[in-house]
Amino acid sequence: MDEKMDDSRTTPKKGIERRDFIQGLATLPILGLFTLSWLNKTIHDRPKNLGKSQRAIPEDLSDINVAFLGTGEQGYIILNACLKIPGLRFKAVCDIWESYNQKRAAQVLKKYKHEMNTYLDYREMLSKEKDLDAVIIATPDFWHADHTVACLEANLHVYCEKEMSNTLEGARRMVEAARRTGKLLQIGHQRRSNPRYLHCYNNLIKNAGILGRITAVNGQWNRAVQPDIGWPKKHVIDSATLKKYGYESMNQFRNWRWYRGLGGGPIVDLGSHQIDIFNWFLETQPKSVLASGGTDYYSKDTHEWYDTVLAIYEYETKQGVVRANYQTLTTNSSEGYFENFLGDQGTLHISESANRGGVYREPTAPQWDKWVSLGYLSAPEKVTQQITTRAVLDVRETIGPDRHDIPITFNDPYHLPHLENFFNAVRGLDKLNCPHDIGYETAVTVLKVNDAVEEARRLDFDPKEFRI
Amino acid sequence: MRIDKKHSNWQLAALVTLRVLVGWHFLYEGITKLMNPFWSAASFLLESKWIFAGIFKGIAGNPSVLSVVNVLNTWGLIFIGLGLMLGCLSRIATVAGMGLILLYYASNPPFTGLYYAIPSEGNYLIVNKNLIEMAALFVLLLFPTGHIIGLDHLFHKLRSK
Repeated sequence: MDEKMDDSRTTPKKGIERRDFIQGLATLPILGLFTLSWLNKTIHDRPKNLGKSQRAIPEDLSDINVAFLGTGEQGYIILNACLKIPGLRFKAVCDIWESYNQKRAAQVLKKYKHEMNTYLDYREMLSKEKDLDAVIIATPDFWHADHTVACLEANLHVYCEKEMSNTLEGARRMVEAARRTGKLLQIGHQRRSNPRYLHCYNNLIKNAGILGRITAVNGQWNRAVQPDIGWPKKHVIDSATLKKYGYESMNQFRNWRWYRGLGGGPIVDLGSHQIDIFNWFLETQPKSVLASGGTDYYSKDTHEWYDTVLAIYEYETKQGVVRANYQTLTTNSSEGYFENFLGDQGTLHISESANRGGVYREPTAPQWDKWVSLGYLSAPEKVTQQITTRAVLDVRETIGPDRHDIPITFNDPYHLPHLENFFNAVRGLDKLNCPHDIGYETAVTVLKVNDAVEEARRLDFDPKEFRI
Repeated sequence: MRIDKKHSNWQLAALVTLRVLVGWHFLYEGITKLMNPFWSAASFLLESKWIFAGIFKGIAGNPSVLSVVNVLNTWGLIFIGLGLMLGCLSRIATVAGMGLILLYYASNPPFTGLYYAIPSEGNYLIVNKNLIEMAALFVLLLFPTGHIIGLDHLFHKLRSK
């Protein structure tokens, strides 16, 4: 190394030479590399919003004249969701609890400038309201069949809350009426229109096959102990009216879900939503069910249906046998409600509760980077476990899986997308996500659990049972 | 051919590489915060332990001070990162970088008996990434390279013209 050359680079010389520019700007290409890397990462990490594209607001917003039949607790939730849907004109509200349910719904609708008539009896409503297009039915289960058939025959499209009916005979009448009249009948299994569930089914399970072969499913809805639902004493329905509409008392009217002949118990109220997802995601109906249940905690005088039910289904899917267990407790709220689909390459944990959900890659499964870059999944995070004892280190255990979020945000009322799907179908812009045939399949699947508990044995399904 | 008489070319390359890498890290930390509208130093500051915890938690608890700190931190990281990467005002950038990291370290030092809810990606006892990065900057302060490889070289030339 010659000192001369060395000095020429360190001793300040007058004027800037080319060499000085090279030395001065030598690290500038690194900034370029940084910018490229950053842009590349930004593009990769950008949320793809796959779910949002499935909920486009229709351009055709011609008004739909709607009646609301049954404005109790559930009906009120649906009514509030409906207020977010453009192009609906509520023309009638019907509820037998005139001084409370009916009044409350009418007040809300009037606030939103709907000019509607109120009715106590649905037959009177159907005979007087001649310009209705559709009806939303949110009455107790045992009324669903009569209400739905009457509305379909009055030439109305029907959105009926689940359970389709508390009896298969009732559900069958509803399917036959829908076919006979050619009107739309949507059953209120609202997860079928939830963008998170649609993403999981369409993209994760169907397109990507991300779970591999699904071998087991489990789900639950656990709720804490709750007292009977009461009512404001000044708003009691007279006994003649109660009797006319099928109730023995005000307590039975308010707590109809627990009574045989009126509802189906927690397995139907809660389980139906989730067991419907079992059928949907597995793309078939079960072969058999065995179940255990009972009224173990509450008084059998007020809780005729089982407060605790555990059911195990067996499915024969295209990929092989799947065993699915479901439990509903009304005495403990541990872990709330969710559905888990367990495959040999991953686990899908999903819940209607928008804060829950995740997909877990099995340690032996291929990497999911492709699905992350496509926006099917968020980037993985390691599920860390604080190990506090040597006893957990065991060759039989596999290491914890990576966890990915389901990258679909959903901030709307739970029922809104399903209602939108119904009204879009009424406008001829969409197909129903849960038409009567699917509602019937789910009713068959769920109602048999109560039979299995009753008979204390495994019951087989005949594939013909699911069809009419 | 030696570029600088104080260092061999390999030594110079090593020092410039260290400077650019630390600069890259600062710059990306800053840009990530700038691009995330929900980012705030609040959760980090609220986790503060040790003798300065009161000061850091006080900052987190005062919305107007916190918003100033958020801006200063974000842009501080970006300017320090650019300074180190491009060798621009590199002495100031190096000292400022050390000061900023010292604040991070003092807020959440990995000392025995201090437990943090925010997970770290490694296991640390007294020495953590912050302390090592601060030491790296101290090396760069003692062996500056911006005036040899960097915009500071051009500024130096322009000044002496």
